[in-house]
Amino acid sequence: MILFPAIDLKNGQCVRLEQGDMARATVFNLDPAAQAQSFAAQGFEYLHVVDLDGAFAGKPMNAQAVEAMLGVIKMPVQLGGGIRDLATVEAWLAKGITRVIIGTAAVRDPTFVKEAAKKYPGRVAVGLDARDGKVAVEGWAETSTVTALEIAQRFEDAGVAAIIFTDIARDGLLKGLNLDATIALADSISIPVIASGGLASIEDIKAMLLPRAKKLAGAIAGRALYDGRVDPAAALELIRSARAA
Amino acid sequence: MSVAIIDYGSGNLHSAAKAFERAARSLENPDKVIVTRDPDAVFRADRIVLPGVGAFADCRKGLDAVDGMIEAMTEAVRVKARPFFGICVGMQLMATHGKENVTTDGLNWIDGDVEKIAPRDESLKIPHMGWNTLDVIREHPVLERLPLGPKGRHAYFVHSYHLNAANEADVLARADYGGPVTAMVGKDTAIGTQFHPEKSQRFGLALIANFLKWKP
Repeated sequence: MILFPAIDLKNGQCVRLEQGDMARATVFNLDPAAQAQSFAAQGFEYLHVVDLDGAFAGKPMNAQAVEAMLGVIKMPVQLGGGIRDLATVEAWLAKGITRVIIGTAAVRDPTFVKEAAKKYPGRVAVGLDARDGKVAVEGWAETSTVTALEIAQRFEDAGVAAIIFTDIARDGLLKGLNLDATIALADSISIPVIASGGLASIEDIKAMLLPRAKKLAGAIAGRALYDGRVDPAAALELIRSARAA
Repeated sequence: MSVAIIDYGSGNLHSAAKAFERAARSLENPDKVIVTRDPDAVFRADRIVLPGVGAFADCRKGLDAVDGMIEAMTEAVRVKARPFFGICVGMQLMATHGKENVTTDGLNWIDGDVEKIAPRDESLKIPHMGWNTLDVIREHPVLERLPLGPKGRHAYFVHSYHLNAANEADVLARADYGGPVTAMVGKDTAIGTQFHPEKSQRFGLALIANFLKWKP
């Protein structure tokens, strides 16, 4: 499994939100490039970046900060937020993003995702945000009765690199990953699934390494890394020894 | 496969249903066309059609009056990615606002407002009633193999307002009526026509058939 440290960008700064609420943002670093460098120095191998303003605006809003990060680190970067058309996908891939994450557009415009994944196999991931297993998009999240699985199944055999499954109810609240739901999703599709939302302690990492979670491709860690609840060296060591075993 | 035509007390329901039935019969696997005011049936349908004639505010009110319909439609189209076809005011309702006499909220699926058309030539009457050719602005699967452009097929219009889209990418076709008039919009899995495909004879049926074949 890969442990992805997360950098969420708002107004050019690194922030963490609670339950995806822009009004509940805590600034953790004014300099995203420095934060990316620090994650690289800690030994992380793949960075997860979200352009929060972009997600709301429907187009990239923190390009400068993203480019600054790409300029100072060598590890691969996956980026989401405001990626809604092929031109934006292509622009990010050309700038050095390893893979793009498509969220809202994956729900509303499946054809776009399929086209992008066909053109750039392995470089397009789908971000599915769910509350109680039901998909949420933008503001009217509460009304959705559609399951994440139903959306994920659209992309079987489409060349999508991964599905990043976020449990909104837990995101930023340090309640632990929702592994049951994430594993259930991973067991139902062939696309690799990455767990996100709520990673709180080394116990989550240990749970990710149990045999029942072996279909999961990785997990995303946000707040727990910033406030020191998870020690990067210990977490990465656990993962390395599990890989060696 | 089923096509739900939403019944919310608007006028062109039966001609729309007939046109969709006829277009469906031309297909290899004809879709079942239902006319319904049941939100569950709309939610379960494979394709959704929202007709509409009259004033924007009245249509919005009619749609609001069917309990749960806007929620069912929105979820079916915007989460389940079901193909959607808005006709005339049904298309205008996809906008952010309608500005016919009063300002009314639309569904806000397509950025832009519904505004009065203003032909430069004063001899051109409002409402705009009649047959016009269409200029394709953006290629789209529902427009495939349709002879459009200045020498192409004509579409039938009856309207005084049109959807002034904020993003050019959302406009599929325009007509000219003393200036550009938005004839067709498309975004994600939703399309809409200002003209009446159900009254546009062979071209209308071919367009509906394309919509029924479209797999976004």
